[in-house]
Amino acid sequence: MSGRLAGIAKGAVLPEDNDSAVLLDVHLRAVPTEGMARYGDDDEVDLVVVGAGAGGSVLAQRLARAGWRVVILESGPFWDPDRDWVSDEAGQDKLYWTAPRVIGGEDPVELGKNNSGHGVGGSMVHYAGYTPRFHPSDFETLTRDGVGADWPIAYADLKAHYETVERELPVAGQDWPWGDPHAYPHAAHPLSGAAERAREGARRAGIEMRVGPVGIPNGVFGNRPHCIYRGFCLQGCKVNAKASPLITHLPDAIAHGVEVRADSHATRVEVEGHRVTGVTYLRDGVERRQRGAAVAVCGYSIETPRLLLLSATGGWEAGLGNRHDQLGRYLMVQGAPQVAARFPEPLRQWKAPPPEISSEQFYETDAARGFARGFSIQTVGPLPIAWAEHVLADGHWGQGLREYMRDYNHWTTLGLLCELLPQARNRVTLADEEDDHGLRVARLDYSQCDNDRASIAFGKRVLADIWEAADAQDILSIDRYAHLVGGARMGFRPEHSVVDRDHRVWGLANLFVCDGSVMPTQGSANPALTIMALASRLGHRLAGRRVTRSAEPAQATA
Amino acid sequence: MARSFREAGHLPKQRPDGRPAAPEGLPRQRAGRTPQMHGRYPDYDVLAEARHWDPVTRDLLESRVRDVPALRVFDAGQAACLHAFLDVVLAQDAEPRIPVLEMVDAEFAAGRLDGYRYVDMPPDPVTWQQVAALLDRTARGRGAPGFAALGPEAQEAVVAAFATGDLDGEGLDVSRAWSVVMRGALGAFYSHPWAFNEIGFGGPAYPRGYMRLQPGADGREPRERPEAFEEDPVTDVPRRGLR
Repeated sequence: MSGRLAGIAKGAVLPEDNDSAVLLDVHLRAVPTEGMARYGDDDEVDLVVVGAGAGGSVLAQRLARAGWRVVILESGPFWDPDRDWVSDEAGQDKLYWTAPRVIGGEDPVELGKNNSGHGVGGSMVHYAGYTPRFHPSDFETLTRDGVGADWPIAYADLKAHYETVERELPVAGQDWPWGDPHAYPHAAHPLSGAAERAREGARRAGIEMRVGPVGIPNGVFGNRPHCIYRGFCLQGCKVNAKASPLITHLPDAIAHGVEVRADSHATRVEVEGHRVTGVTYLRDGVERRQRGAAVAVCGYSIETPRLLLLSATGGWEAGLGNRHDQLGRYLMVQGAPQVAARFPEPLRQWKAPPPEISSEQFYETDAARGFARGFSIQTVGPLPIAWAEHVLADGHWGQGLREYMRDYNHWTTLGLLCELLPQARNRVTLADEEDDHGLRVARLDYSQCDNDRASIAFGKRVLADIWEAADAQDILSIDRYAHLVGGARMGFRPEHSVVDRDHRVWGLANLFVCDGSVMPTQGSANPALTIMALASRLGHRLAGRRVTRSAEPAQATA
Repeated sequence: MARSFREAGHLPKQRPDGRPAAPEGLPRQRAGRTPQMHGRYPDYDVLAEARHWDPVTRDLLESRVRDVPALRVFDAGQAACLHAFLDVVLAQDAEPRIPVLEMVDAEFAAGRLDGYRYVDMPPDPVTWQQVAALLDRTARGRGAPGFAALGPEAQEAVVAAFATGDLDGEGLDVSRAWSVVMRGALGAFYSHPWAFNEIGFGGPAYPRGYMRLQPGADGREPRERPEAFEEDPVTDVPRRGLR
């Protein structure tokens, strides 16, 4: 029975061209890989994808459906959630990219657990689960607001792909009034007491919050179990309820001939003339080379620029796609301070998925606020270690720390995602230090601008207003960052960007970048859904040959 | 202590002197263990649920409680200093203690790091060792042979200066060093099931998730236990003027 019919028989509305939810086993969490295609290194496949995350997995699935022969090289393991994952906050560090990296700049961004992934599924394995769309304004902030950059594509180019991916995850939430108003395929999840407190405070403060949007089915969806509200979304969903490409796209990709080659660390992209010919990688300590008619680098905002820098060769001395010194630049993170509030009754913020309700009321520029662009407000549900870091950040240690920790159950937490602006000086370069493979590690320098600081400060006051309106008894604050995008941005011309509107690296005929690093701006939205929608669009265009991989090198048209 | 946890008067920021209350007023743990055997939920033991956890999670958490690894990265002198330091920052002033330094050492010995290093900082294990040297050097400046030999008030004063970046790091960025060692300390301490007991955290909850999401007593799972505070009703009720 095809996936769609199986879905109807079970009462679920399933996406049309993605059977992943019914290809999963009913009783085991591991993705079925029996019968997965195996390609030889010398077999020139149609596409070699580097990185099995949000971008690479969706791109591979789309092209496999169109008959392409695709190999995905993934540095980390192919997870079996039953065997490899624990339901524990400290025991899941394996999900992060923990190889060494160096951070600098005026406002260094801590890497690792909060903004990186390692293993099949990428960082979406441990994202919170929020899946908001970008607003139409995000694609033209330079024109509208005089800051940031305009994208070479518009919201309208992604809209159909947003809708498709929302059906594939699927997304649960209330009707969405902000940006381009839209509805979601699944109804909103029930709210925890902790989130109810936040919603009531926001209501009294005149701020509208809505439930969702989250990539967690609320109802029947193929063989994916329902959420059990255990609250470990950031530690990887052992239930298979929360969406990640590991379970939403790779089962279907594998069923259509994709080979996911895990534990395979790409070390360089090979180039001949203006074409790439394949990818050199390490597996079990042995250097190998997979040939491909095209290559898509999907390693996210740190490892994608790093791989292109490490691939420097004759004619590309500064790194592939880096003739104009654009590679690694305009990397962005979001300002993500959190403010927690104390209430008389136990709220147990560790129950239910951390992403419960959110507001995009402050997303767009409001001149009265004195800065450009804005922020979104979201619930977060810190587990004990994250809560301890929150308490420490407010200045408490010793008996004071222990007292606030014992009070854990009485607290609930709201966070911001502030749109920080793209700046050329915020970039990935290679450090002098080498990793275990003898390859230079990435260095990330990050500094905020005045607009960034103003947005974060304003947003924190709004959170404090919400908690004051809710009659909170005490407040604790922490400053932090979240997410990564940019570093190989798309643009109109090679002088100002790394890839063109179809993700093709300027100056090369068949090298693509398909992950969050292509984003010229980031809005105040969690990036996962948009990364998937971009990959869906690129897959659609490559499969329909609106972009070919055998043409002349990518060049700007007048 | 506050007489009801509906009030917030026990929290340091709500107290006139801004300082936490001594933990003597807390109830003694009756079920399972907490660090120092005091807490908020005297009848709650998260490990009583262990038989319901999936096997890989159960093995990990039970070994975390059972197995105290031997030190391999820190030498005896560093360990003496860092044990004393961790006792202060985590308020572990009595047994039973969560073996935080041993847990941190095991992570370093296995080569497990956080995935980043500040450009002006050494690798995290070296930072820890430099912090031990910094604390001992500071203590010697106060006339003691090392940090571990300082009295409780002097140790608190040194840690307070460390927390606000007011120690002379002699090249070590003291604020960043504080954040490195505290991140490691909190990551170990609050991964331990004894700490879950103290704060009333539900623990792994897999494959049995939660059925109640409401606030207050209505939201308590059957396996949770209510908060309690140590007041003798025979003396407390008249003292509060209720009778």
